[in-house]
Amino acid sequence: MTFRESAFYPPILALALSCVVLGCADETRPPLIVSDIDIKEQLPGQRMSAGYLTLTNTTNEDIVISRVSSADYQSVEVHESSVENGVARMRPVTELVITANSALELRPGGMHLMLMNANGTEDVSLNFFDGPTLLLTVSSNVARERKQ
Amino acid sequence: MNSKNLLIALLIGAGIAAGLFVATKMKAPTQPQFATMLTQANALPDFSLLDQKGNPVNADTFRGQWDLVFFGFAHCPDICPITLQTLSNAKRALIDSGARVIPRIVLVSVDPERDTPDILGKYVAYFGDDNLAVTGDLEQLRRLTSALGIYFEKIASDNENYAVDHSAAVLVIDPNGQFSALFGAPHAIENYLHDFPIIVATQ
Repeated sequence: MTFRESAFYPPILALALSCVVLGCADETRPPLIVSDIDIKEQLPGQRMSAGYLTLTNTTNEDIVISRVSSADYQSVEVHESSVENGVARMRPVTELVITANSALELRPGGMHLMLMNANGTEDVSLNFFDGPTLLLTVSSNVARERKQ
Repeated sequence: MNSKNLLIALLIGAGIAAGLFVATKMKAPTQPQFATMLTQANALPDFSLLDQKGNPVNADTFRGQWDLVFFGFAHCPDICPITLQTLSNAKRALIDSGARVIPRIVLVSVDPERDTPDILGKYVAYFGDDNLAVTGDLEQLRRLTSALGIYFEKIASDNENYAVDHSAAVLVIDPNGQFSALFGAPHAIENYLHDFPIIVATQ
C-alpha cells in the first residue's frame, strides 16, 4: 500500500493544508526580534553609559520585559528622557511593554538602557527577562565613538 | 522745467532708487531662525566657581570670546552627551564652513556634588579640545543659574544614581561677557551653523 492509500494520508493532508491556511510557519519565528542595537561606550568621568535598540514583538500578545541584566555591567536599568517646557528630565521605567505585533524603540532622547559601571568588555551581552523567564539575550560590541 | 533739468532730475531719481535697491539687498543678515535673541543683553551676576583645572571662574571668564553654555552633568547617559556631541559637531561645521568666529563650548555642572573639576574635565575633553568645564559650590551655582533663568533640581533617589532635572537650553554669551541669545532644545547642528554667524554679525 502506498502512503496515499493509507489511513494516515487524509489527516496528514488536512494538517498540512491547515498549516498553510493558518500560517503555521509563523510559529517558528522568534517572538521578540532585536534590531538597531547601539551600545555606547562609557565616557571618561562617567559611571554609566546608554544603550539603544528596537524590540519587535511578532506575536499576537503583549510582551513585558520586567528586568534586564548583564554580566558585563554592575546593573542595567531602563530610563526615559524627555524635554518638556524646556526642562530635560530622566525617569526610571519599571517595565517595558511591547504591544502585540508592534515595535518598541529605545532611541536617543527617549527610552534607553542605562548600563552602570561597565567592566570594559568590548563585546557585551544583555539578558531580557519577564519575571523569572529569560526572553532574549542580545549581544553587541560597544560603539567606541559617539555618533548622533 | 526744461528738458535738461528734467533729465538731471530723472538721473538723480534713478540713482537714489538704485542705491536703495542695492542697500536693501545688502542690509544686515536675516534674523536667526532657531535661536532667540534677547531684546537686551544681560550681564552675568557676581559668582565664583571653578574650571576643570581648579582655576577660578567668574563673570570675567566669559569675556573675550563667544561661548555656548550648556547646563548638564556627567552622570547623565543620554541627553547631556547628545547635546555636547551636537555642540561639538556644530563647532566643527562652523570651522569647516570658514566662519570667522568660532564659539567655545562650556559645560556648567548642575550636579556639583558628584561632578568634581577632575571628573568634569575628563568628560568635556572627550567632546573636543578647548572646552570649558565649570563646577563648584552649590550656592554659587544657584547665583549664576537664577540670574540666567536656568532651572535645575536634584531628584530624590534611594541610591547614588540620582537624576537632575535641568533646563535644556544652550545660552550664548558674547565677548562682553553678556548673555545675548539662546538656543532651545531640540538641538541640531544646522541650527547653530545657520544662526551663530547671524548672532555674531548682529552685535
